[in-house]
Amino acid sequence: MATLAVQIAFYYLAAGSVASATLAVTRRNPVHSVLWVLALFLHVAGIFLLVRAEFLAAVQIIVYAGAILVFYLFVLMLLDLPREAAGPRFGAHWPLGAAAGLAFAALAWHAREPGLLPTTERTAAGGPPLGSLSAVGTALFTDFALPFEIASLILLAAIVGAVVVAKRKIES
Amino acid sequence: MVPVGACLGLSAVLFGIGLIGFLGRRNIILMLVSVEIMLNAVNVSLAGFSYQLQDQRGQILALFVIAVAAAEAAVGLGLVLALSRNRPGLNVEDLTQLKW
Repeated sequence: MATLAVQIAFYYLAAGSVASATLAVTRRNPVHSVLWVLALFLHVAGIFLLVRAEFLAAVQIIVYAGAILVFYLFVLMLLDLPREAAGPRFGAHWPLGAAAGLAFAALAWHAREPGLLPTTERTAAGGPPLGSLSAVGTALFTDFALPFEIASLILLAAIVGAVVVAKRKIES
Repeated sequence: MVPVGACLGLSAVLFGIGLIGFLGRRNIILMLVSVEIMLNAVNVSLAGFSYQLQDQRGQILALFVIAVAAAEAAVGLGLVLALSRNRPGLNVEDLTQLKW
């Protein structure tokens, strides 16, 4: 019974995320597109919950839906939207792009073949359960301490780079 | 119980949609949004593998992907602002100054 509920929830979330991604890519108004991407991120957070990645789901909602998308909306509102929404949506070469996307999706779909999937190795380790805050935090600050610090350096470089690129030149 | 194959199929479809959006749209902000869709597709497959193998490392990798996505959004939108200050419009087909 619980398994069936999980399956139904998964397929609802998968269908919802595919539908909202399609709408996000094809809407004419950029603000509508960004709002459909918000729906996509919330559905993907639900999928993270189903695969026992609770911390990842929280980060997905706080960082992606909360911070990054608000940032996109701010920048969209600084720009000239009505003229943008009036022009054609797709570039001249969009059939080639669509062919490339469909070909990639068809190729990646073959990763589902049973011989290629990893076999289940359920080790009943005595540690904290998968995806819990303590398990993720322990891994981040022991095995992944160096990548963690490098991520902070990347974020610092991105902040400085964004300020330098976007600042107005002062006329002297 | 979510099968890993379903996660991989969803990830493939989402990545294809993001690729179509990146290659097809003319608006530069929507191209960046399509990149975010592709990064999310990769995160779905990483979380699916993490669940299948009962291993923490897939989720850690997805966290780093989110951090890099935040950095990419900051730099990309800074570039968009600088670009729109120099020339109005967000159409990538007008940006031909580097074209030989």
